[in-house]
Order: sequence, then structure tokens, then C-alpha cells
Amino acid sequence: MAVVLLPSMLAAEAGGRNRFELAAATVEDALRALPVSGLVFDERGELRPLVNVYVDGIDVREREGLATKLDGSEEIRLVAAIAGGAR
Amino acid sequence: MPVVLVGTRKGLFVLESDEERREWRLEGPQLPGWSIFHAVVDPRDDTIYAASNNEVFGATVHRSHDRGRSWARTEQLGLPEESGLKLEKTWHVEPGRDGEDGRLWLGAAPGVLFRTDDGGETWDAVEGVLGHETRDRWNPGAGGMCCHSIALDPDEPERMYIGISAAGVFRSEDGGESWTPANQGTAADFLPDPFPDLGQCVHKLLLHPGRPDRLWQQNHCGVYRSDDCGESWERLEGNGLPSGFGFPLALDHRDPDTAFVVPEGGGDDRVTCDGRLGVYRTHDGGSSWQLLTEGLPQRAWSVVLREGFSSDRLDPPGIYLGTQSGSVFVSPDAGETWLEVVDQLPPILSVEAGEWR
Repeated sequence: MAVVLLPSMLAAEAGGRNRFELAAATVEDALRALPVSGLVFDERGELRPLVNVYVDGIDVREREGLATKLDGSEEIRLVAAIAGGAR
Repeated sequence: MPVVLVGTRKGLFVLESDEERREWRLEGPQLPGWSIFHAVVDPRDDTIYAASNNEVFGATVHRSHDRGRSWARTEQLGLPEESGLKLEKTWHVEPGRDGEDGRLWLGAAPGVLFRTDDGGETWDAVEGVLGHETRDRWNPGAGGMCCHSIALDPDEPERMYIGISAAGVFRSEDGGESWTPANQGTAADFLPDPFPDLGQCVHKLLLHPGRPDRLWQQNHCGVYRSDDCGESWERLEGNGLPSGFGFPLALDHRDPDTAFVVPEGGGDDRVTCDGRLGVYRTHDGGSSWQLLTEGLPQRAWSVVLREGFSSDRLDPPGIYLGTQSGSVFVSPDAGETWLEVVDQLPPILSVEAGEWR
């Protein structure tokens, strides 16, 4: 089972859970199985641009993106991009 | 019990008081991390609805059935693919009328309106607004192309209004199916034709509940009143207001001739006029305006956003305003005197008065 770790804001939206163990073939499958998938993906099903996804510490952009395959031992971490200080 | 929902850039705060409205208890923040553009207590069942936005996780609506102790979120909120548009921000939630169980309306950007008939579980974009024949002539204001005002005629169940910046005011006579621009007499000084049929930058639109054919409008280019359901508008200036520019607008439920505004210097000078926080009130339909200052800071360059002003339904009505500096001011006596009931909140985006049943 892959482990998905959520940032605090998503955890609050997931009933306080920040850790999910999921059986999934790809990163995308894992993220879509989350109860907060509507916050991770937009209405077109596209990953929101300021959501970063790391698999075992590596940005999925440096791998196969959301199509990155999972063997069940990975740790997937969602991180909100740190973007400026205007807000 | 009087309650005021205070939406901030960093969550929702709740103020509760008694009928005197002089002592207030603060709770919150709820929904930390979310910018609450507007929140409202549905008077039909005490549910709180919040138009909540986050730079990373998008725009949604939260609802609470237990006065803010727990929250649920609309799971899927968006625009149909064929529209070519994506939801940008949620701006304003308007509960339906008595008897319209489960129905609410949601104004959002880019210039869209949603309707729910199941108490906010699911929302559908209103096609008559989404696909409006004039949409290609709409332009975003500084805050985006927001549908920020929704007014329901309490006596005519098929009649309602919306305000979109900068598309103008639109009226529907068929329950939201079709929409007609209602901007005659309102100026758009920033366009080549200063009196177009649409494209005006309405900042806030309100309907008087006791005289529903009377609408009030704070616009980028003036303060206006309509006595004919938005067919025509009269500009109310040169009569005591230091500026026609501003965002907030509030009404007195007892008297359709009374309104409150908080003018700002202008489009290039978006702070309150004359270096003070001043509320202006009219008792004569906008023919004259009186400056109200008692209890308000007389050395201030404040910003009160379009949703940062509200009135309750008590007698006399309480008037409430929240500033970008994080203060909430309450007037328990229809504007005569003001109390700063809380300060140092995050920047305030919205203030909405209501009542727990």
C-alpha cells in the first residue's frame, strides 16, 4: 500500500487525517482516491498548478508525472507550493 | 441571538451578542487557511454557508449545520467543459426564499452564477448567465470578473437580480433562466460610451425587502437608486457625499429611503475619504447624505470591501462594518454611534449580520 501524506489544510478537509494508505497503480490513481481529490484536481481533472507531488522525495515532474507507477511501497507527499508572500 | 459572520483572508470568525448588541463574544477562526469572501447564516435553518477560496486548493463552498463546530465542503464545484471557462473564485452565497427548501444561489468568478437545490451538496452553473449573449463584452474589474451581488424579490418568486463587475446589473423574470441588462442611467466613465447598455462596474447591489421594486447600487461611477426594478437608475451625487466611488452599501429594513455607504477617494485612491473612517447615511432616498462619525476613528485611511458592510433586521437595525485593518465596528442604533468590538483580526473581506433561531 502506498502512503499519501497531506499538508495540514488538506488534512483538515479530510476529517483531520493526514495519512492515507491506498492501493493504487499510479500516482494519479492514489490522488483521485483521496477524499480531498476535488481540492487537488480542478473541474477538468487537472492537477492544480500550485500543488506539488513528491514520490519518495522526488518531484513527480522529474519522473513520469501523475502516470508514475507505484509498486505499493512508496510515500507520496503533497506539498502546497511556496509562492511569494503577498497573502 | 444576533450573530455576525466575519470572513477574513485567514478564516472565518463568529461574533455573538444579545439584542442590545453592545457586548460581543468572538469565536474562531474557523476554516483556517481559507479566505472567506462571504459567509451567511441561512435564516431558514441556521446553516452557515461560506464562499471560501485558497490560492493553492481553489474555490469552494463550505457549510456547517452546527454553528461552525464542524464543516462540510462541496466536493465538485466547477464549470462545464464546453463553456471553456474554469471556476476562479466563489464570492457570495444567497439563501433562497422561505419555502424554497434547499435552494441557494452562489455568485462566482468569472461572472457566473450557480444554483443548488440540495442545500449546497451540489451546485449547477446557471446557463442563462454562463452562456449570456453579451458575455464577450464583459470585462473583469480589479477583483476579477466577479458575480458578487444576488438579490431575490421576496414577493415575485420569478424575479431576481445579479451584479457582476464589470458587466453590470442583470434582472431575471423567469427564476434565473434568462437575464436582461438593467443599467440604464448608470455610468461607465471608463468606456468610450459612458452610458452603455452593459459593462458598468457595479460594486454592490441591494434590494429593499419592504419595497422590492427599489434597488440601491454602489457603483465604480456613483451611487444610484432605482424605483422601477432596475429599468432606470438615478445618480445620487452632489448632495453631501465626498465621492461617488466606493464599495460597501447597507440598507435599513424598516425604511426604503435610508441607505448607508462608505465612500473612498476614487479608483486611484482606494481609502476612505478625508483621512477618516466615515459612514454616510441618507434618510431621503439619496437626496442628501449625513456623515456619521461618533465612535469611528477620525484619523484613518481605511478600506471596507464590498462585502464588508451589513445590517441586521432588528429595531433599530444594527449596522456592521469590517476593515482591511482587521477591526469590526458595530452601530447598535442605525448608525448614530459606533463601537469597535474587535480589532487585530486578519484583513476582513466580509461581514454579514444574521440571527441564530
